[in-house]
Amino acid sequence: MQRRSFFTGAATAVAAASVSRVAMAALPEPVIQASADTAEPLTPPNGRPYHPVVTLNGWTCPWRMNAGVKEFHLVAEPVVREVAPGFFVNMWGYNGQSPGPTIEVVEGDRVRIFVTNRLPEHTTVHWHGQRLPNGMDGVAGLNQPAIPPGKTFVYEFEARRPGTFMYHPHADEMVQMAMGMMGLWITHPKARHPLIAEVQRDYAFLLAAYAVEPGAATPRVNEMTDFNIWTFNSRAFPAISPLVAKQGDRVRIRVGNLTMTNHPIHLHGHEFEVTGTDGGPVPLTARWPEVTTDVAVGQMRQLELVADAPGDWSLHCHKSHHTMGAMGHGVPTMIGVDHQGLVGKIQKIVPDYMLMGERGMGDMGSMQMPLPDNTFPMMTGQGPFGNIEMGGMFTTFKVRSQLGANDYRDPGWYRHPKGTVAYEWQGAPLDAQAPRQTAPGTAPGAASVHKPESLPPAAGHAH
Amino acid sequence: MSPRLLRLTPVVAALVLAGCASVAPDGQRSAVTAHTAGSLPAGSQLADPAPQARAAARAQVAAWLQQPVDADTAVRIALLNSPALEAQVAALGVQDAQRVQALTLPNPTLTLGRFVNAQEREIERQLSFGLVSLITLPWRARWQGWQLEQATLTTAQQVLLHAADTRRAWLRAVAAQQQLQTAQTLHEAAAAGGELARRMARVGNFSKLEQAQELRVQQEAAANLARSRLNAALEREQLARLMGLWGAQADFVLPATLPPLPAAAALRAGDDAEATALRERLDLRALRRELDTTAERNGFARVGAVFGDVGASYSRNTSTERASGHDDITRGWELELPLPLFDWGGAASAGARSALQRNAAQLRETALRARSEARSHWLRYRTAYDLAQQQQTEAVPLARFLQDEAVYRYNGMFISVWQLLAQARSTAQAVATATEAQRDFWLADVDLQLALTGTSPGTPPSPVTPSAAPAATTEAGH
Ligand SMILES: [Cu+2]
Repeated sequence: MQRRSFFTGAATAVAAASVSRVAMAALPEPVIQASADTAEPLTPPNGRPYHPVVTLNGWTCPWRMNAGVKEFHLVAEPVVREVAPGFFVNMWGYNGQSPGPTIEVVEGDRVRIFVTNRLPEHTTVHWHGQRLPNGMDGVAGLNQPAIPPGKTFVYEFEARRPGTFMYHPHADEMVQMAMGMMGLWITHPKARHPLIAEVQRDYAFLLAAYAVEPGAATPRVNEMTDFNIWTFNSRAFPAISPLVAKQGDRVRIRVGNLTMTNHPIHLHGHEFEVTGTDGGPVPLTARWPEVTTDVAVGQMRQLELVADAPGDWSLHCHKSHHTMGAMGHGVPTMIGVDHQGLVGKIQKIVPDYMLMGERGMGDMGSMQMPLPDNTFPMMTGQGPFGNIEMGGMFTTFKVRSQLGANDYRDPGWYRHPKGTVAYEWQGAPLDAQAPRQTAPGTAPGAASVHKPESLPPAAGHAH
Repeated sequence: MSPRLLRLTPVVAALVLAGCASVAPDGQRSAVTAHTAGSLPAGSQLADPAPQARAAARAQVAAWLQQPVDADTAVRIALLNSPALEAQVAALGVQDAQRVQALTLPNPTLTLGRFVNAQEREIERQLSFGLVSLITLPWRARWQGWQLEQATLTTAQQVLLHAADTRRAWLRAVAAQQQLQTAQTLHEAAAAGGELARRMARVGNFSKLEQAQELRVQQEAAANLARSRLNAALEREQLARLMGLWGAQADFVLPATLPPLPAAAALRAGDDAEATALRERLDLRALRRELDTTAERNGFARVGAVFGDVGASYSRNTSTERASGHDDITRGWELELPLPLFDWGGAASAGARSALQRNAAQLRETALRARSEARSHWLRYRTAYDLAQQQQTEAVPLARFLQDEAVYRYNGMFISVWQLLAQARSTAQAVATATEAQRDFWLADVDLQLALTGTSPGTPPSPVTPSAAPAATTEAGH
């Protein structure tokens, strides 16, 4: 967790020369974030009070009060995001990072957002889920001219509905979203709301997927399905911050999906209800408990639960490839293939060859083998009991009885009470002679007609 | 000097000259060696047919064959041991003997006659010999000398060509042996890949189609191995033939690799190539000698044609009167002169003039070719060097880099072991291509040496066809 100075300080950078200093004088100075760590929640310094959210591996955009209007400044610009330790991706984002800062306001706030474009091409911002004047909706060509490079546009509207929203470009959006341009928008209710519970912890993140060639650093923007970097807020496990809660806290988790596929978000150890979408709070009668909720493309889901079970609980997408780092999706399965006598022969032509995958891919997590530069490994992340063998949309939900109300620090690994961890059976071993149902490669009761019967042999050769 | 003695002088001189013309005991081998010394490896010698020398040569060759045969030793063995070359040198000895024979004066003819009639018995003794061969002896001696020198130069060229052929064969044999090594490794790797694919199919991880695709790779590698094996054997056989080796000796050992490329600074400069070729090439020197010979013969042709063979004879006839027993002795000489009534030597002299022109034109043509060959072989040599250098310092490291990256991608499970093997095959192919380029440089070096100081390399540099075939690439991982 990083302490951050707001309008002034080390993390703040002066706008680039391409933006006129005279014009800038009238603008709120943008806050540029240099770190990909999770920032502390921003307690509102002015305006109506609210309980702030924690943006996983992100931060909230500070504002300036100007005659009762909350003024924010977003700078659309190329950034280098540390997606995992040592793995850097060239992205486009806002104010130094992708995703951009979370905009947090209160229902009824008048909001003015300055958007400066430092991208090499035009852009806009669409305020996903907001009720606003049509000309503020940010669709280039339809609602407004696109913001040319070097120019600053102003959006102004009232945050009318409480809820969980997001912002993203609506100009060359295929490229700009593939490059990481997105951010969260949270509108808190201005007073107690019958459908919106008071929570002690409020977490928010966006789902984003990137296609980064192993050894490269810039996402392939033309990719449509075969992504290899699956992220919460453009971070991949093990680099995603844990969600921390004091035992008994009511916790809200806000998830938005800006990838090109759905993500069944699954929480261990607890059940939750979906209490809201980007359409607003869900009526009480429409809620049901579950442990996995599918967040479809372009949707937001607001989950709520009571963190009553202490421990380190997984929180992840249930598409298992989405909890994996970069891998070749066309690599054949090697499981159960006898390599006897072949490894040495292959090493004669490829001396660094190592046998992998004949028992499954779990070894990948523990094998330390050189990968192409700047490549996010397929699975990694050490837990208290060994390798977690994940890498992507995966993090932990850490519930502790002893935790300060505003303490969001990682409390370390859970200390299990004695006798509450699965253990090795010490009794009689399984009879290894027991017959297997099938031999490998043989389907039980399969028809015995095969054609072609066999392959021709390899060309004759003397040794 | 008495007038009598003075009259005898030409005869004596001719006799002396004729006596000097003797057959060279080494069959002109040392003369040939003198022409080739600078272009052959140190310690090269030509075969000596004398039994003792033969035994020594056999021992020497056997000693050389104890070690891996390098290019210079291959040339030494070929010069000492090749029957083909020995035949050529022996032919020079034959020519030398013929020259000496030609320069030997014709034996005088002694004619004896005994004639009897009723009164007399006549005994006739006549000693005669051809004058022209005597008079033209110095002339012919010089001419034959030139001809021999020319033949020596021609034989020297044969020696250099044989040495060059041997050196080329050595380069090809070593390179083919290296390629065979590569083909063996590739085949082993493909066989491992094929076997792995078979095991994949056996446990249900591969379809028969996928297995067949790997099997095809294995089959191609096996076919390529067979071709490489044949090629290595044929190239080696060619070298053995040129070195005159057979039987157990044909099992000689070659070095594992070609000599490394020289440093760029050690390369032969191209600016004096033409001058060197014109100055040093043996074929040009031989033609120049032939031109001299023809020019000289031009004069002789006229004399010979006009006078044919002038015969001179001395007679001493004795007639004995049978009745009285009185002897009457007649002495006298006779000169036999063909009359140039019909052939005034015009045709012969015209023929000689044409021969002269032909020789002059041949010399000009050869000089032209020598210049051109010097330029083109130098260019080929220089380009072959640059290509080999590029293969070695750029293409092979790049292929190795690609392979390292493929290993990293394999480590990250981005590509399969078959894709890794395919990349490794393409790396091995790059190494093989570099070996070929290295061989081609040394072949060009042999040709250039020959073109500059020996003779025409015989193989004009073939036009280069830029290769359009891209290197095999591997399917990229996802
Ligand atoms: Cu997912």
